[in-house]
Amino acid sequence: MGEHRRVLDLLGPYVQDSLESGEEQEVRDHLRHCEACQSEERDLREVHEELSDFASLAEAPPPDLKTRVTAGLPRRGSSRIPLFAVAAAILAVLVFLSLLYVPDLFVQDTVAAATLEATELAPQAGGELRVKANDPNAQATLEVWDLPRTKSDEYYELWFGNGEGRISAGTFTVDAEGQSTLDMAAPERVGEYQRVGITLEKFPKEPRMDSAKVVLGGELQES
Amino acid sequence: MVYPEVRGGGWLTSTDGSRRELGVKEERDEILVRRVAESGDERAFSELYDRYVGLVYGAGIRYLRERTHAEDLVQEVFLSVWRGAASFDVSKAGFATWIYRITRNRATDQVRRRRSRVRTVGSDFPLEPEEVDPAGDLSRSFDIAAALSRLTPVHREVLTLAYMEGLTQREISRRTDTPLGTVKSRTTAALLALRESVSIIDGQAEDG
Repeated sequence: MGEHRRVLDLLGPYVQDSLESGEEQEVRDHLRHCEACQSEERDLREVHEELSDFASLAEAPPPDLKTRVTAGLPRRGSSRIPLFAVAAAILAVLVFLSLLYVPDLFVQDTVAAATLEATELAPQAGGELRVKANDPNAQATLEVWDLPRTKSDEYYELWFGNGEGRISAGTFTVDAEGQSTLDMAAPERVGEYQRVGITLEKFPKEPRMDSAKVVLGGELQES
Repeated sequence: MVYPEVRGGGWLTSTDGSRRELGVKEERDEILVRRVAESGDERAFSELYDRYVGLVYGAGIRYLRERTHAEDLVQEVFLSVWRGAASFDVSKAGFATWIYRITRNRATDQVRRRRSRVRTVGSDFPLEPEEVDPAGDLSRSFDIAAALSRLTPVHREVLTLAYMEGLTQREISRRTDTPLGTVKSRTTAALLALRESVSIIDGQAEDG
């Protein structure tokens, strides 16, 4: 095999810096006078660097993640039972259950609730908060009334708090009557929080839950 | 659903002129996603998962900072692939570009959700990025993943062992029971094939 051909074959490991010293020196010597190999080496080095970037970004996921992903896929086209038969069966079951459990069938259980009491900042205001289990995240339904309308640079923020700190559950504004009813995402471990509060915040300042700005507050009671 | 003919998909012609159907590991991304769309082919979906999960998970680690959030990202992205396969339009972009965009969008959603929810007074939160993949290196890595998937199994293997598992040439030789000299020349050939594959993908991106 000629030197040129041999060096060409070694250029891959060369750009990877994985040749032993003797071969590396041989390639280096050849590159000094071979323009074709110099060009090839530049191209290989470029793709080597892109591959290295790719390798540094990619991470091996937990082995069981694939099972979890595929288990969560909605099935389709795999049923041998006609769709209309499945739909009819489901409908029949729903009708039967609805006769037995109409009030409870479509209503998720409330796991915690709080009556929100006014502070002197909004003495007429009030509110109710209900937290429902809704896997994977709990959901909070908030209803407030008689809150002062916010200015263009203001908004309200709902907080869950405990002895260690507070966590935001989202922001909102109210209508012309000072009312709002909305669904918000509750903290993942909502059982760890005992208090809820609503503060008046102002753009662009970072929100703070100091007591001076709390317009509504209450204790979370487990249902 | 828009599926223009993808050249080379479905069959492999060997040197003796005979043809055999491609195995799922040799199929192009675009063929696999078509199978997912048309018949809910779970083997095709599984292969697409294997090709891209490392990058999606890696993006989650990089931008969401926690493994549990990265796992959520993987679940969201691949559920979107499964559900949205029928809307994938290969005439607009390759699969790698499509899944990259899904990944970036879902990661951005998660970053925004966390920024709005996880704010507590007086605590030091990890600095979260304002934007996912501002420099475009994540996008480029998805192109590299697509290019790798188009290599022959032996070329893909030698590069995977070197770059993903960090094996030396000698270790690859032992692992694959292949002479060291062959591993070296195969590494060069694999890198050249990858360069060619990348340039084809780049050309398709410019045409698109």
